Amino acid sequence: MSAVLAIAVKDLRQRLRDRSAIVLGFVAPLAVAWLISMAFGSTGSFHANVAVVDLDRGPVAAGFTTFVKSPDLAKLLTVTSAATEADARAMVNKGDLGAAFVIPQGFSDAVTSGNGRPITILTSVDSSIAGQVAQSLAESYTAQIEAVQLSVKTAVASGAPAASVEKLAAEAATARIPEQTVTQASGAKALSAINYYAPAMAIFFSFFAIGFGARGFFLERSGGTLDRLAAAPIGPGTILLGKSLATFVYGMASLGTVALFTSLVFGAYWGPPLAVAALIVALALTLVGLTALVITAARTERQSEGFASILTFGLVLLGGNFVFVGEAPQLVRTLALFTPNGWALRALTDFSGGADWTAGVMPLMAILAFALGTGAVAFTLRRRVVNL
Amino acid sequence: MTAIALAVAELKRVMRDRTSLFFMIVFPILVILLVGVTTASSKTIRVGLVPGQSAILATQLVQDLAADPAMTTRQFATRAEGVGALRRGEVEAVVVIPMTLDADLRSGRAVQVPVLVSGSFDTSQAVVTAVASVVARNGAAVQAATFATTLSGRDFAENVAAARSLQRQTPVVPVRTEVVNRKSDFLPTGYSRSAPTMLVLFVFLNALAGGAAMIQTRKFGIFSRALAAPIRARDLILGEALCYFALALAQALLIVVVGAVMFGVSWGDPLAAAALVGMWALVGTGAGMVSGTIFRTPEQASAIGPAVGIAFAMLGGCMWPLEVVPSSVRLAGHATPHAWAVDAWATLLSRGGGLADIAGYLAILAAYAVVLLAIASLRLRRSLVTP
Repeated sequence: MSAVLAIAVKDLRQRLRDRSAIVLGFVAPLAVAWLISMAFGSTGSFHANVAVVDLDRGPVAAGFTTFVKSPDLAKLLTVTSAATEADARAMVNKGDLGAAFVIPQGFSDAVTSGNGRPITILTSVDSSIAGQVAQSLAESYTAQIEAVQLSVKTAVASGAPAASVEKLAAEAATARIPEQTVTQASGAKALSAINYYAPAMAIFFSFFAIGFGARGFFLERSGGTLDRLAAAPIGPGTILLGKSLATFVYGMASLGTVALFTSLVFGAYWGPPLAVAALIVALALTLVGLTALVITAARTERQSEGFASILTFGLVLLGGNFVFVGEAPQLVRTLALFTPNGWALRALTDFSGGADWTAGVMPLMAILAFALGTGAVAFTLRRRVVNL
Repeated sequence: MTAIALAVAELKRVMRDRTSLFFMIVFPILVILLVGVTTASSKTIRVGLVPGQSAILATQLVQDLAADPAMTTRQFATRAEGVGALRRGEVEAVVVIPMTLDADLRSGRAVQVPVLVSGSFDTSQAVVTAVASVVARNGAAVQAATFATTLSGRDFAENVAAARSLQRQTPVVPVRTEVVNRKSDFLPTGYSRSAPTMLVLFVFLNALAGGAAMIQTRKFGIFSRALAAPIRARDLILGEALCYFALALAQALLIVVVGAVMFGVSWGDPLAAAALVGMWALVGTGAGMVSGTIFRTPEQASAIGPAVGIAFAMLGGCMWPLEVVPSSVRLAGHATPHAWAVDAWATLLSRGGGLADIAGYLAILAAYAVVLLAIASLRLRRSLVTP
């Protein structure tokens, strides 16, 4: 046991002497997390500045202005008035307004007579969401007006006497739209950028341990120190265990430090501590498995560096460490689950969204399976590693 | 001539490295594909639907929500599945169609359609507004059908069909949207964003990582041996610079060609795009040579280089648009050359700009290139002439 520890401590000391291991394992993920927290720390909910151009001055247009200025919409919209369509157009073009509602002259009369004139939403190519929201609000308002006239038209089409249209309209106006939305809390919390990218970057940078571990092995082999170790009264298993322990500890230290630091300093939420700790242990074991795999697959130091780099960047690309995988199409989301980091991010995203520790069980199993699988393949290929 | 021969020799050495080729050719294409497909699918509001019963009114409401151009909908069998997707940010809201929707509406009872949101209600108001408008229009047809059924002998289902048909044919109060401008200040979404931003990212990042080759050359004593021959130090420096420039240019051109052929990216005015690509390759050359003279070991350059490259890319607006971050971060981002390059691409791709429109950006990038190349040349020269 002391031999295993001695090898592990020696490897770790050697690794930490190389500044790149410190930078990639600790400094880089924290710096990136800091950048993300700076960039998105104060990002609030969607809000748009809009204007109403009331060219009608009639009761229906006034009702619409009251509707968009209602307290219910105050957090969504800041509503001002614009005197002319040209003014509104200029402000939208300049970016001062996200959208503008233009209510045409004669709008109220036309609505009453059943010959609607269109409300025009002016929007900019750079404020498409504001345009969509404005269109939805206008349609919500006009739906009630439409319901009355549609009721009359449908009644007439179904056989009600056309002569009694005014009476029908009066009757229809007493009804209300029978379907309404009601916003409910789902129990899920909104996913913030820091909660996603802090773990994503921590995992990404921890994967560089694969390259360090594999390269260290080949350097020792070419330097003859492995042969000398093998000559000592310790088995190859002890040597491998010692080296694996070094990679495991480095991975744990890197992920654990970033988890702790980003939680305390940047307010990132990784999840229930025990569940997160279990995921970190599983990910560190995966690093050991992947390092062993690279060592057995490569034949030279240069080759091991190449394999490790391709494996690292391939996994983080597929697993969703670079892009927010939730927004990606189904195929990309499915592919992410072929990677241990994809599973880890899924669990951590669930935790961040308010799920309890049980959401981590399946991902934990998947990551451990990946660690075991890569370890098993490495074990099968162990004969490729000569002189051990 | 000597410098060119040295550059060719160095290029041959680099091109033999398959890992470098993977990161120069395959990896950028994969990233452009992934980022492009992800940002392209985020143009609309993502809404989850739990359809409830397969009765006619519930089905019609689901169809109406799915047909709305502002939304991309995805169906879930249960509320729990929908909430799971909401938690992971796969959807922005989940509409749960009540199981009793048809029965309630047929019997004249009002129905509330729950819209599940994550976080506070305020953050989800935009998506709720979009859903509410579709539900209201659907409800208008149901209201009309209910009204007509009470006055005629026609069946409720027939009246629903008639009301929906009338609603489609002659909207009582049409709402139309007019986009007042065509030229955007930002890069578009999809591949037209991912290709130029990844060009900026990878030319710079691979140049930084490529600093490892120069360190290796120095470590192997190739520079010292070359200086023993009748080769001047400045030819060696020029040769290195030419090699880095050729690699950066090749990387950029590859992304331009792949972007145009595979992803249909239109790169704007050819002359201006060529000038921007050339200037960015010069910035990359300077960055790569600085990396080769600052880091001590090849491992440091190939490990820390990408980390620095990613951080600069984040700050400079390659990973997300700088328009979505606070103005202080946007300002800080413009300390990197990346932000100016991305601004220049936005001018070319989104505003149809030409060489004159990006002249200011090119001048700023030229200043970065001059400073980086000067630092690198001085450091390299010092390392060459110092015994």
